Amino acid sequence: MTTFVFRNQTIEAFLGYKDMTYSGYDDISQVPSDVDRYIWFYQVPVNADSAQLADEISSYRDKLDMVLAGAGGLKPFIILSLVNLFPLRLTGNESAVEEAIASFNSHAVALSRQHANVKWVDFDEFTSRYSSDLLVNWKYYFMSQTLLNPKLAHDFQAWWQQVEAGLRLQRKKCLVLDLDNTLWGGVLGEDGIDGIQLGGEYPGKAYTYWQRSLLQLARNGVILAVCSKNNEQDVQDVWLNNPHMVLKGEHFSAKRINWQDKATNIADLASELNIGMDSMVFLDDNPAERELIRQFLPLVEVPDFPEKPYQLMAFYRQLVEKYFRVYAVTDEDRAKTEQYRANAMRNAEQSRFADMESYLYSLDIAIDVIQADEHNLPRIAQMTQKTNQFNLTTRRYTIDDVSQHLDMGWRVYCMSVSDRFGDSGITGTVFLEPVDDVTVNIDTLLLSCRILGKGIEEAFIKTVFNLLRLDGYRAVRADYLPTPKNGQTADFYDRMGMTLEVAGEDGSKHYTMALDGVFEIKNCYNIRVL
Amino acid sequence: MRETFEMETVSTDVSQKNCERWDSLHHLTLVSELEEAFDIDLEPEEIAEMTDFSKVIAMLQSKL
Repeated sequence: MTTFVFRNQTIEAFLGYKDMTYSGYDDISQVPSDVDRYIWFYQVPVNADSAQLADEISSYRDKLDMVLAGAGGLKPFIILSLVNLFPLRLTGNESAVEEAIASFNSHAVALSRQHANVKWVDFDEFTSRYSSDLLVNWKYYFMSQTLLNPKLAHDFQAWWQQVEAGLRLQRKKCLVLDLDNTLWGGVLGEDGIDGIQLGGEYPGKAYTYWQRSLLQLARNGVILAVCSKNNEQDVQDVWLNNPHMVLKGEHFSAKRINWQDKATNIADLASELNIGMDSMVFLDDNPAERELIRQFLPLVEVPDFPEKPYQLMAFYRQLVEKYFRVYAVTDEDRAKTEQYRANAMRNAEQSRFADMESYLYSLDIAIDVIQADEHNLPRIAQMTQKTNQFNLTTRRYTIDDVSQHLDMGWRVYCMSVSDRFGDSGITGTVFLEPVDDVTVNIDTLLLSCRILGKGIEEAFIKTVFNLLRLDGYRAVRADYLPTPKNGQTADFYDRMGMTLEVAGEDGSKHYTMALDGVFEIKNCYNIRVL
Repeated sequence: MRETFEMETVSTDVSQKNCERWDSLHHLTLVSELEEAFDIDLEPEEIAEMTDFSKVIAMLQSKL
């Protein structure tokens, strides 16, 4: 991947040389189009005249807008925030420079909300780790126009790797927590509901801050789960009756509170939540438990847990940076905890009905089939990146890829599903590639695992078939490409009545079908085409 | 020097004149790495003198 960097100082030592092209200093006259992405990484210049400096910084905003317009709306555009590495104030109440910086930064944040391809990266997250003496090295500044100390280059590169990982959306989905000496201090079974350390003075205070921080993870789409050796009744009691408890039963999407070994419990949690073990992080204060999980479930991430409660906040930041950072949290992500919980309720409901059909009727399922547009494009691309289980071809696409396909005449639909327990949001998509005037190929078909088990996949694809038939298409082609995770979809097209044409040695299958009649859909779904 | 210039081996007659990668930017990176590795502080005048392998070695020896 090639990158073009807009900059006003020498920063090659930080971002490196490989596949990087740099603009001239503060030169925005060229916006090359033969690169894969752009980075904007400006530094606050050195100027003792603060009025002049504020003016110069204000001009960056217009320059950024011009460059962004030149770059077009498709390729990734990363903006690093401006940080004043060397604040100079002659009088105490002078703030023009700081205001200009703040105004540039809030403009950049606004751009990242308006444009799906723009990502904002907070450079302060890196610089705030160092004292101002360490950040700036005047010798190097005067010799080579780089205010940021080149001695921090290695640290910067490590930080930048984490940023890049976050940009590629590699975040984990679920945090599995032990309870005693992990979520609170002490042992519930020995110290009792009011004897554990939580709230009040240190160390209880540290656990309160820790729990509040974890709650923010849950609110931003990370699934929390419990895996603890305890009596479940004791834990329910402490959740109900300890007034300092921030994280309670309702914040956890799934729980294993028993005396079984934790490897079995975590494997159970993965299947109950319908997520892969490689998307889980496990926290436990007990090194033996951590080792057990590392041995038996090598896909689960198991970081070391801090020895002292006062280290918890620093540890929280590491967790966020390493596992749970994303650069664009969508509303779908935020609602996820709620959805996983609603799923658990639906499962409970299911056992009350004798047959599937009457259960489905009782759910009042509504399915909206929606054409891809600029609003749902980020979510559609995100689903192709993250969905593993119900995914027929597992092709990963970026937002740019999807827009290009749309430009080439592909039809892309997504689906939003709700029922009486809640709204699951956009949870499925299909990419249809025209082969000729009467034939389409299903390039991608996927559904989020949280809506599976209700026949929605069948209703969705049959609705799409009917739409295609109305538009004059007469035949469909489709492929199943096996992965270690999508085995459940191996015979999906067989069940949809398609004809198997070719079966590859690797397990792949190629299907065709004529579109010559209306596809009947069970009327327990309320389907709308928007 | 090997790391900074991304070279397999560094010969003792390498200099800013015969090595394309040894430009002003890489020179600063090299100096910053040397300062870090040997825990020394080099003055800009000294940095400017270190134009080939033997001069770098001589400078390091004078500092240690």
